[in-house]
Amino acid sequence: MIRISRQRAQDVAYGAIGILAFLALWEYIGVNQLAGLTWPPLSTVLAYLFDPSRQALFTRAMSASFSMVGAGYVAGTLIGVVLACVAHLVVPLREGLGRFSSVVHSIPSIALAPLFIILLSKDWSGMAIATLNVYFIVFIATQSGLAAATRAHHNVFTTLGSGRLTRLVRLEAPAALPSIVSGLKYAVPAAFIGAIIGEWFGATRGLGLLMVSAMQNFQIPLLWSAVLLTSAGSLVSFGLMSLVERYVYARYR
Amino acid sequence: MPGLLKSAFSRYWGVLLILILWQAWVTLGELNAIVMPQPIDVVVDLVTNPGIYLQNGVQTLALAAGGLLLGMTLGSLIAIACWFSRLATGMLVPLAMIFSSVPVVALIPVIARLLGYDIRTVLAIVVIVSFFPAFVFTSAGMRALPPGSEDLFRVLGATRKSRFLHMALPAAVPSWMIALRLAAPSAVLSAMLAEFLMGQSGLGYMFRAAAGDFATERAFGTSVIATAVSVITFTLTLRAERAVNERWR
Repeated sequence: MIRISRQRAQDVAYGAIGILAFLALWEYIGVNQLAGLTWPPLSTVLAYLFDPSRQALFTRAMSASFSMVGAGYVAGTLIGVVLACVAHLVVPLREGLGRFSSVVHSIPSIALAPLFIILLSKDWSGMAIATLNVYFIVFIATQSGLAAATRAHHNVFTTLGSGRLTRLVRLEAPAALPSIVSGLKYAVPAAFIGAIIGEWFGATRGLGLLMVSAMQNFQIPLLWSAVLLTSAGSLVSFGLMSLVERYVYARYR
Repeated sequence: MPGLLKSAFSRYWGVLLILILWQAWVTLGELNAIVMPQPIDVVVDLVTNPGIYLQNGVQTLALAAGGLLLGMTLGSLIAIACWFSRLATGMLVPLAMIFSSVPVVALIPVIARLLGYDIRTVLAIVVIVSFFPAFVFTSAGMRALPPGSEDLFRVLGATRKSRFLHMALPAAVPSWMIALRLAAPSAVLSAMLAEFLMGQSGLGYMFRAAAGDFATERAFGTSVIATAVSVITFTLTLRAERAVNERWR
């Protein structure tokens, strides 16, 4: 036991060294302008980001983007889980729903964004793309999770004469939970990508809009700040989902 | 024949449903062609102008494939280099995990500013997007050894080099195929996104130009081609993964 935990500590230490080295390299390249004017030092970006006069700008952009991400994430999860349950319960629909999902998923976001702008509005297309991205991942994860319950457990339920719904709620759903949570974890970056892409197509506010306008107007610190905020948001949510995943794996597996 | 039709229907009813809804929406809503073209107009544009679709499609596909190859080679090589050093692995793997949990597509504007608004940026984005899965999965694969193999190699007194060549490298192949399957569709997608944002040619740019000119049949035709390209890439990589797994396990 002690040896394992020592190795774990070593892993953490090495990881921290790696991340620090990366940040230091970023700062070094920026300070010495090795990559030209478009690569600012980390400290400049952070100073720009935490400047009190820009607090309102960033707060507004973040609340716009993150609420789109969150709404898309929730909607995509619901649709994914429900459709996977339908596909699981209604056998004739199963094959078709799977194909349908993979074709919808293959339609590139740049083709979908204008469609959503017509169907919904400019500001909601980010959420719609995030929903689609999340839905596909959750659908696949739920579908494979629902098939994970063992034969023996199914036999017990059959012997005790349980109905289809009881079997779904008491056996298949708990067995599917680990797979669903893993899917939810990988859906986090997908939700962020969806929302940002949606905003590139003409949202009126949000981090994606900041990125594009900063890129076109050569506002380098603003551009890097927006990218940094998006990445931080994604990273924190991903970390949270990893914790949830660990708990679920310990409890349900 | 009816059996074939029936199985095709049970697989593709969803796609058929989209087409019917699309047509119904245009007809019932009496939408102008500028807002929303009819499916048939899109097909007509695709059939009458195959050259322009082919040229741009091939360019995007070539960029995506080139970037994918470069990115995956780079990722695998660095993963292999890391296999020889625990420190390097310990330092790089968490960083790579961080990057793969971050929306890398958000870096397109940054790269565009660094490299300029042309094809190099598109290629660089595809390389970056393909690099992380290759690195993460190759590193993981070289450590996911069949049980007992490490002991066997040690007992037989294998050198480090032969342990690498005959144990770690073959063990990494299935994971590498997973990385390929994950990276290929996103390579195509990010190539198109980058072209959309700053390219001067390719499917992404073609879409933008068509949408800007209100040539909606052309824009939707581009989407159809782009979807077909993604589906083909996904199917090919899935087939490749299955073929390799059958031979390898």
